[in-house]
Amino acid sequence: MAHVPTANGATMNGATSLVKSLEAAGVDVMFGIPGGAILPAYDPIFDSTIRHILVRHEQGAGHAATGYAQVTGRAGVCIATSGPGATNLVTPLADAAMDSVPMVAITGQVPSLAIGTDAFQEADIRGITMPFTKHNFLVTNPDDIPRVIAEAFHIATTGRPGPVLVDIAKDALQKETTYNWPASIELAGYKPQVMPNQGAINDAAALIASSHKPVFYVGGGVIKANASRELLELAELLGAPVVTTLMARGAFPDSHPLHMGMPGMHGTVAAVTALQKADLLITLGARFDDRVTGKLSTFAVNAKVIHADIDAAEIGKNRYADVPVIGDVRETMKVLIPALKAALAKNAADITPWLQSMNKLRATYPLGYDIPTDGSLSPQFVIERLSQICGPDTIFAAGVGQHQMWASQFVKYEKPRTWLNSGGAGTMGYAVPAAMGAKVGAPDTTVWAIDGDGCFQMTNQELVTCALNNIPVKIAIINNESLGMVRQWQTLFYDSRYSNTSLESKRVPNFPLLAEAMGCVGLACDRPEDVDATIEKAMSINDQPVVVDFRVHRDAMVWPMVAAGTSNDDIMIARATAPDWDSQEL
Amino acid sequence: MAIHKLEVLVENEPGVLARVAGLFARRTYNIDSLTVGPTENAKISKMIIEVSVEGHSLEQVIAQLDKLINVIRIEEVLEGAISNAKQDTQPDYQN
Repeated sequence: MAHVPTANGATMNGATSLVKSLEAAGVDVMFGIPGGAILPAYDPIFDSTIRHILVRHEQGAGHAATGYAQVTGRAGVCIATSGPGATNLVTPLADAAMDSVPMVAITGQVPSLAIGTDAFQEADIRGITMPFTKHNFLVTNPDDIPRVIAEAFHIATTGRPGPVLVDIAKDALQKETTYNWPASIELAGYKPQVMPNQGAINDAAALIASSHKPVFYVGGGVIKANASRELLELAELLGAPVVTTLMARGAFPDSHPLHMGMPGMHGTVAAVTALQKADLLITLGARFDDRVTGKLSTFAVNAKVIHADIDAAEIGKNRYADVPVIGDVRETMKVLIPALKAALAKNAADITPWLQSMNKLRATYPLGYDIPTDGSLSPQFVIERLSQICGPDTIFAAGVGQHQMWASQFVKYEKPRTWLNSGGAGTMGYAVPAAMGAKVGAPDTTVWAIDGDGCFQMTNQELVTCALNNIPVKIAIINNESLGMVRQWQTLFYDSRYSNTSLESKRVPNFPLLAEAMGCVGLACDRPEDVDATIEKAMSINDQPVVVDFRVHRDAMVWPMVAAGTSNDDIMIARATAPDWDSQEL
Repeated sequence: MAIHKLEVLVENEPGVLARVAGLFARRTYNIDSLTVGPTENAKISKMIIEVSVEGHSLEQVIAQLDKLINVIRIEEVLEGAISNAKQDTQPDYQN
C-alpha cells in the first residue's frame, strides 16, 4: 500500500474522504463518467492529484481500467454513477473476473434511505455483481470509506487478482466524517496462501525429474505473478517443451527453442500435441479451461498433473491434480528450482527423445496461411507485418474473434504484459478501450489495438476520449466485413448459411472518415503491397490516435482448430485435414 | 446421493446469505437445507448448510465457499462430531 501523507483525524465530507483514500491507495489515474449519485465525489476529484479521464461510455472506463492494470500490474480504477452508469460496468467487471484482473470500481448509489424504493437511477449493483466480483461493498456510513477503499485495493491486488466494486450511497458522500486511513487491514476470511508447501514442492520436483515426457503448461498466472524470469530458469533447467495459453502469451519468449506455442482450440499442432501426449503436465497459473483442454475426458489422458495456482479452488476443479501446489507461482518456482536441481542430480529421466519429437512436430506443422490468389489482402499477413515492423516492445490489444486468434498466433511476443485480450469472457469491444488504458499506463510505449470490424463498432467512441486526452493509440481494423469467427463456424458447421454475420463494413461505415470525425487520423489499405508503407505511416504519427482500415479477404479462416466439444486428438490443420500422425513418433 | 453437513462461520454482514446462496446456485451445487443463526460473537454468524454433492467433489464446494471474503471458517459435521472438513480426493498439502 502506498504511503502518502494523510490527513488522519481531519474532518471532511465522505466524498473528500473517498478521494483522499484513493490517493492514499496510490491511485494515479481513473476512468469514469459523473452522474447524480456520484456527483459529490466529482467535486474533490476536481482538485485531486489523481488524473481523471472522462470517457464516453462506462464500459470504456471499465475496459480501460483493465488495460491499465494488464500493462502496469497495478489495480485499474473506474468510477461511475448509480443505475445505468453502474450496470454499464457489468461487462468489464465480468471480463476482469474471468481474466483475474486487479480492478477497483467505484459507483455512486442512491441515498441510503432511498435504497430499496426503486428510486430514480437505482440499481442493486452489489447484488448484480456478486457473481463476478472478487468481493463488493455497499457503503452507507461515511466513516467506513477509508477502511473499505483500503480493503478493496488489498483484495483486488493480492491472492488471485480480481475486480472489487465499492458502491457508495450519495448521502455517505455528503455527510461529514473523520478521515482515518487504516494502519493495517484485517479480514478474518481472507488470507491468501503465498508460500507453497515444501512437501508439495519436493513431490513435484521428484515427479518432474522422473518423467520422460514433461511439458510446462503455462497460464496467465505467470504474468500476474511477474514470474517470467523464474519460468525461463525453470524451463531451461529441465529443458522440456513449454506451451503458453492465450492469457500467457509473452510469459515465455516466442523465439525460445523450447517454446511450442499456444495450445487450445486454435493452438499449434506442437503445443496441442505436447499436452496431449505428455506424461506430466507442469501446470503453472493455468486453469484447464475448456478452450485449452477440448473434450476433458480425452485431454492428456496419460499425464500426471502438477497444478500450481494461488487459487485453491482451481485445484481439481476440472482436472485431478496428482501434486497440488497452492501459492504464488513466482514463489513456487523460486523454491521448485533448487528442489528440481537436487532431484535431477539424483535421478534424471531422459527427455531428449520427447523434446526431439516435439521439435520435429513444430517444424512439420508451423503456423501458416494461404495468400489469396485474387490479389486481395490476407488478414494474417497484415498482423504478421505489424509484429515484424513494430517489434517486441509494442503492446498489442485485441478484440474477440478471428483477428484475436491471428493476433495471438502471428504476433511474436517476447515479453510479458505486451499482449492484452479478453480471454475468459470473450468480450467483443474490449480492444479500443483496453488499448486506451494500456497507453495511459505505458505512455512511452507504442500501443496497437488489433480489432475486428464488428468489435470496433461496439466501443470505438472511446477514440474521442483518446483524441481529447492525448492518448495516441493505434488501431488496426481487420475489416473482413463480417462477424468473422461466427461466419467461420457457419462455414464449417452450418453448411455455409451465413445468418446475420455480414456487417457490410466495407460499405458502411467509412472507417477512415469515422476516425477523422473523432479527431484521429484515418488510413485505409487494401493491397498487400501497401501494407508496410501504411504501417510505417501509422507509426510515424505520435500526436494523434491513428485508425487503419485494413480491408482484408473475407473467407480467411483460423487454423489449426479443435472443434468445440471434440478431442484435442482431432485437431485439424485445415478444413478436413488432420496432421499426418502416422509419420510421427510420439 | 451423499449429503454433507457443513458448519460455516461467516461475518455478520448484510448480503452474506445472498453470497452463499448465489454461489451454490451459479456453480450448480444443491442446498438441501440452510439455517443461519447468531454466535456468542455478534460480528460472526453461523450457517449450517446441508449440501448434496452430485457431480462435484465436496472439496471443490468447500474451496469455492472459502473464496467468499466473508466466509471465515468451514467445517464438516460428521456423525454428531465436528471434524476438519478435508474429505480429500486430492493430496493434502495444507500448511
